Amino acid sequence: MESSPSAERVRFRTQVLARHLHQHVPSQSQSQSLRPSTCLSYSPPELSEPFDFDTRDMRKLMDGHNLEDRDWLFGLMVQSNLFCPKERGGKVFVTPDYNQTMEQQREMTMKRIGYLSDRGVFQGWLTKTGPAAELRKFAFLEVMGIFDHSLSVKLGVHFFLWGGAIQFFGTKRHHEKWLRDTENYVIKGCFAMTELGHGSNVRGIETVTTYDSNTEEFIINTPCESAQKYWIGGAANHATHTIVFSQLNMSGNSQGVHAFIAQIRDTDGNICPNIRVADCGHKIGLNGVDNGRIWFDNVRVPRENLLNSVADVSPDGQYLSAIKNPDQRFAAFLAPLTSGRVTIAVSSIYTSKIGLAIAIRYALSRRAFSLAPNGPEVLLLDYPSHQRRLLPLLAKTYAMSFAANYLKMLYVRRTPETNKTIHIVSSAFKASLTWHNMRTLQECREACGGQGLKTENLVGHLKSEFDVQSTFEGDNNVLMQQVSKALLAEFVAAKKKNKPFGGLGLEHMNKACPVIPSQLTSSTLRSVHFQTDIFCLRERDLLHRFAAKVSQHQVQGGSKEYAFIVSYQLAEDLGKAFSDRAILQTFIEAEETLSAGPLKNILGLLRTTYALITMEEDAAFLRYGFLSRENAAAVRKEVAKLCSELRPHALALVSSFGIPDAFLSPIAFNWVAANSWSSVQD
Amino acid sequence: MEWKFSNWKLGAEYFWNEFTLNYLMATYSKTQVSILNGIVMGGGAGASIHGRFRVATENSVWLFYLHNVIVVCRLLLAPYVFIRDIFFKVFAMPETALGLFPDVGASYYLSRLPGFFGEYVGLTGARLDGAEMVACGLATHFMPSERLTSLEEALHKVDSGDSMVVSAIIEEFSLLPTLKEKSAYHRVRNLMDFDGLRLLFTAEFLFFKSLLLCRLDIIDRCFSSRTIEEILSALESEADKSKDDWLSLTIQALKKASPTSLKISLRSIREGRLQGVGQCLVRDYRMVCSVMRGKVSKDFFEWEPSRLDLITDSMADSYFSKLDDDNWRDLKLPARSNLPVHAIAKL
Repeated sequence: MESSPSAERVRFRTQVLARHLHQHVPSQSQSQSLRPSTCLSYSPPELSEPFDFDTRDMRKLMDGHNLEDRDWLFGLMVQSNLFCPKERGGKVFVTPDYNQTMEQQREMTMKRIGYLSDRGVFQGWLTKTGPAAELRKFAFLEVMGIFDHSLSVKLGVHFFLWGGAIQFFGTKRHHEKWLRDTENYVIKGCFAMTELGHGSNVRGIETVTTYDSNTEEFIINTPCESAQKYWIGGAANHATHTIVFSQLNMSGNSQGVHAFIAQIRDTDGNICPNIRVADCGHKIGLNGVDNGRIWFDNVRVPRENLLNSVADVSPDGQYLSAIKNPDQRFAAFLAPLTSGRVTIAVSSIYTSKIGLAIAIRYALSRRAFSLAPNGPEVLLLDYPSHQRRLLPLLAKTYAMSFAANYLKMLYVRRTPETNKTIHIVSSAFKASLTWHNMRTLQECREACGGQGLKTENLVGHLKSEFDVQSTFEGDNNVLMQQVSKALLAEFVAAKKKNKPFGGLGLEHMNKACPVIPSQLTSSTLRSVHFQTDIFCLRERDLLHRFAAKVSQHQVQGGSKEYAFIVSYQLAEDLGKAFSDRAILQTFIEAEETLSAGPLKNILGLLRTTYALITMEEDAAFLRYGFLSRENAAAVRKEVAKLCSELRPHALALVSSFGIPDAFLSPIAFNWVAANSWSSVQD
Repeated sequence: MEWKFSNWKLGAEYFWNEFTLNYLMATYSKTQVSILNGIVMGGGAGASIHGRFRVATENSVWLFYLHNVIVVCRLLLAPYVFIRDIFFKVFAMPETALGLFPDVGASYYLSRLPGFFGEYVGLTGARLDGAEMVACGLATHFMPSERLTSLEEALHKVDSGDSMVVSAIIEEFSLLPTLKEKSAYHRVRNLMDFDGLRLLFTAEFLFFKSLLLCRLDIIDRCFSSRTIEEILSALESEADKSKDDWLSLTIQALKKASPTSLKISLRSIREGRLQGVGQCLVRDYRMVCSVMRGKVSKDFFEWEPSRLDLITDSMADSYFSKLDDDNWRDLKLPARSNLPVHAIAKL
């Protein structure tokens, strides 16, 4: 450093500092020679990406129902400070403050529920019935899940699990007493099924209930530590009442699992006598939900608190049920409670939409590397490899979005006859869609580079918020095994009775086995006919193989259960084959409702991409010879072509998801401004 | 007015140009100062609201729904845009009697007012005075009209487009307006009291303030309802509990208005809350063309359909869809690249 800098240097430094302090923006008139450097600037992808179809029409197809209701609820959230609106880069975003402590996040969830309840969002959730009321409820739950998974899970526990148990397992006396109060949040419910020692295997739970005919009360007990109720959402802080799942022991005879209502807190929030509650603690996500543990020490509840839709106990202690077999009783009992799997499947797809909308918008505004020295840098989504990473996931998300809508409609129009189908389809779709979501989020987070790590950019953080979907309300792997078992049962029944297959989309099994052309051309690969054929062939063949394998084990003297366990590889392949075929079918059905036009064209492209990427990714196609090596190569080549054909529509496709900008994140928009120095000083 | 029935396409061209101008203003980097020294409505609202600074005076009145107005405005293009004396000739017709909807991108800015005040203003056609416009954010400043000449001179003198500089000058002339008793935002009983500070800590002021907050609270509770029918029934149950005649005026305003207009306006505001200003204008254009073509509703001399429950979702839907006319196109807004943040977020 010079010891005595010249006056000019001092003046220069002072000017620089002054400008810095006053955030002076040089005006154009100041100096012609001083121009801003050709620094990176954000260019909205809308400027360069024309839309070939009306995104409004596509959104109608995607959301399927209650669009105005959805927009209303989005608006309710945007207008309230409880949803933490933050300005970033000239746009307002709403997203929970995940940097709050667990306790704060839980309180915020409850406050948000209070606000939405005051605005009438939950009106009719339990007191109205019928498809229209149910679809409205689903639409709202989806919208709230787009804001925050904790919010939708907390509501799901209160309305779908606690409320649903009372609706479905209870009878008139329970409905009259509890439903209205639940809907108005006079009471807060939770659902104590899972125990430390038993999760998916509900039949094995250890909580025990006996009956005292003198006082006409049930007595609920937690006999050992592994019987403590675990992961009970709402139990740690807020719930006043719970459904308790317990073995019912009537004068020494176990009658299997039953559900009871028990109060765990008084109206002031104090824990009731003979109840012990502990916190499940901090989790990798969902910290806005107060999961807790519950122990019951001789808790007495009135006889009327048994949810008696399937079985009842008379005042003098007689056990009464129309269904004699405890296994069947249990199945009949749980059958109506599939709404959880339906809502999880749908919610996971909305989350994939968020991830893809963010990652694709970012890829349409962020550049990296140039092809030639001094050449302009290339937009991320113009790299074929980047297209291959994101666009097949986009096509799958579209396919699964149709599948989710189909499942929802199947559920709201349910009849006793469709219960089995709902059980199987919801199991398959819940597993497929939630797995797809986790994979999509991981890819999206990587596709956003370091920006994906920032909590405010959502794509990375959503992974931990939604990871739980793979295991709650039925572990995905267990659900898929159930699907294969159910398919096998259908197969065995059809063979035994020599009757054609009906339902579950298995009708194709009645026809001749499809033949796949030895040489697949581009136009064959893109035909609905071929795609249906090969998906059906795969399902059919795997079902035959699975049946053969299981019976082979049985012939060798193994039990049916053992045969299932050791045939797990085929069971896994078959479950996937069923799910993929069913998803493809829902896509084709959705396409068929449209008349020729740009919307139908783009959906055809997406459906083909979905079909071909599934064929490319699942080794079963090669393993069992549904595709020859040459044909597998043809599929791979076509996938690359499809990606480049989807590329021009990428922005329109993610703009059709019906997720308002405010519910995406700063990197999806002007990420330069969102990170500018001036934004730091606000 | 006849174009509504015969040549609606002439009207379409007019609105194409108007909405394009709105969009340019909404995304303009240069600092725009609008003086709202009179009635602000329709096209005039569109010409001012998208700009950076909106100065209200004691003469300001915010109105809605009218489109057939004569707009006189003077644009000085550099270094800042200056619009003054937006002057309207008002027809002797209640604003709700036209069966239109808040266009010119109103769904963008109304929906961004605090709470659900935007629904209230947009649906009831409530008139707001200058003080109320500042309070809710439709105007950024308030000053007595006698200071306007000096303001204009000062702005000319400084000759700068820097929004900080312009802001500082406007602030020099501005003062804090007083909200009147009847406001919430209704209505000027006495002449404006320009000495805003005088009342600030008096009991009187606190009384007004609590009344105002109470009304805002009612607005939030009622106008946040999902449908027009629910808004009305929420207002009616509030009216049962209170003697405030403001409530019955509000209910009357809604009942007098075109049912179709109410339905599509509410939907437009709700959609606008979630969209950018460009998307709002594209939607406004679809809607205004549908209204002009008059295929769905024949609103003009009398309401048709005449009741809210006669308007089906698909009827409402058609206002938001592309028109099935070979010569009709969606509004195509000019590309605005490299926009600084301040050019987008003006509200």
